[in-house]
Amino acid sequence: MAGQGDSSSSEKKSKEVMNDVSTFRAENLQNNMKVVYYSRTFLSIIGGAIAGILGLTGFMGFILYFIVMAITSIGLIAKAKFSLHSYFDCWNRIILDGFLGGLMSFVLFWTLAYDIVHIF
Amino acid sequence: MAEDLVLDTAIRDWVLIPLSVVMVLIGILRYFVSKLMRSFQVPDPKIVKEGQVIVRARNLRGAANFIPPKSFRSRRVYFSNEENGLLFVPKGQAQNAQAQMFSDPNMAMDMMKKNLSMIIPQTLTFAWVNFFFSGFVAAKIPFPLTQRFRSMLQNGIDLSTVDVSYVSSRSWYFLNLFGLRGLFSLILGEENAMDDTQRMMQMGGFGFDPSKSLTAEKDGLDIVQHEWALPKFEHRAEAVLKKLVS
Repeated sequence: MAGQGDSSSSEKKSKEVMNDVSTFRAENLQNNMKVVYYSRTFLSIIGGAIAGILGLTGFMGFILYFIVMAITSIGLIAKAKFSLHSYFDCWNRIILDGFLGGLMSFVLFWTLAYDIVHIF
Repeated sequence: MAEDLVLDTAIRDWVLIPLSVVMVLIGILRYFVSKLMRSFQVPDPKIVKEGQVIVRARNLRGAANFIPPKSFRSRRVYFSNEENGLLFVPKGQAQNAQAQMFSDPNMAMDMMKKNLSMIIPQTLTFAWVNFFFSGFVAAKIPFPLTQRFRSMLQNGIDLSTVDVSYVSSRSWYFLNLFGLRGLFSLILGEENAMDDTQRMMQMGGFGFDPSKSLTAEKDGLDIVQHEWALPKFEHRAEAVLKKLVS
């Protein structure tokens, strides 16, 4: 998917001037948030398909979802070269942001893959 | 109650996948139709001017600490001056803008069109699903649910001993409805996906925009405490240069 590769490479620096009153350019911040959202959505769809194909049921599937989200967070933080404050204004944004939004897509693709592979 | 039902392969071929494909296609179709039907509204110059004034005032509020105190104050007076300040709107005029926005036929038509283009495909698809695909088990959800969900999920199935995980196609439709939002936002490019809930929230607060936000900006501007950050920069520059030199 084209979005994954080159959207994460376009994370821009949010802070203009290094000062005590830290300022952020709103449009860059928004762009970074969009990148985070796209990455999470994409990975939750893939994670759902993986969970279905592996035949995970119940709790195990949700644990896989959390693992995938954690991997997403780590990947994004690594992409931001660990200096999170020059791209985002607080930690919560990159870790908790699209968490529940991806859940529905995850469950849909999980159900789809599980049914196709195991029940039918 | 953990027996595994064996379901016909034909169900998978003719129910699950076609339903998902149809919903994706309808979403794409709706996106393009709404793009084509978007009537071009000639922007009213007065409204655009007011919008730009608001943006300027907001910038001033945000960057207030970077300009010397005197120029900040003079700018503030320019905006919130009683007689000819840009943000000051006399009371009578404020009400007027609101009423005009709601009785404007163009805007009402646009809102109606947007609402309809959201609701009609959903209703049609739901009716289609109910008509064709009812009365049998369509899918199995991979996680267990309590008995309370039985009536919601197993709507067409009349056996009460079947495990709650086996659901009817109606619930597959709803699952698709929520789950494909993420997919749409990926393939249709930002935000123009199924953001029907966002649209509905936007509809509610649309008419009040110009007049109320002017007064809001004016109040915000009055509140700002000016604290000039620039004198500290000389010290910081000195510290940084010292570090470089030594």
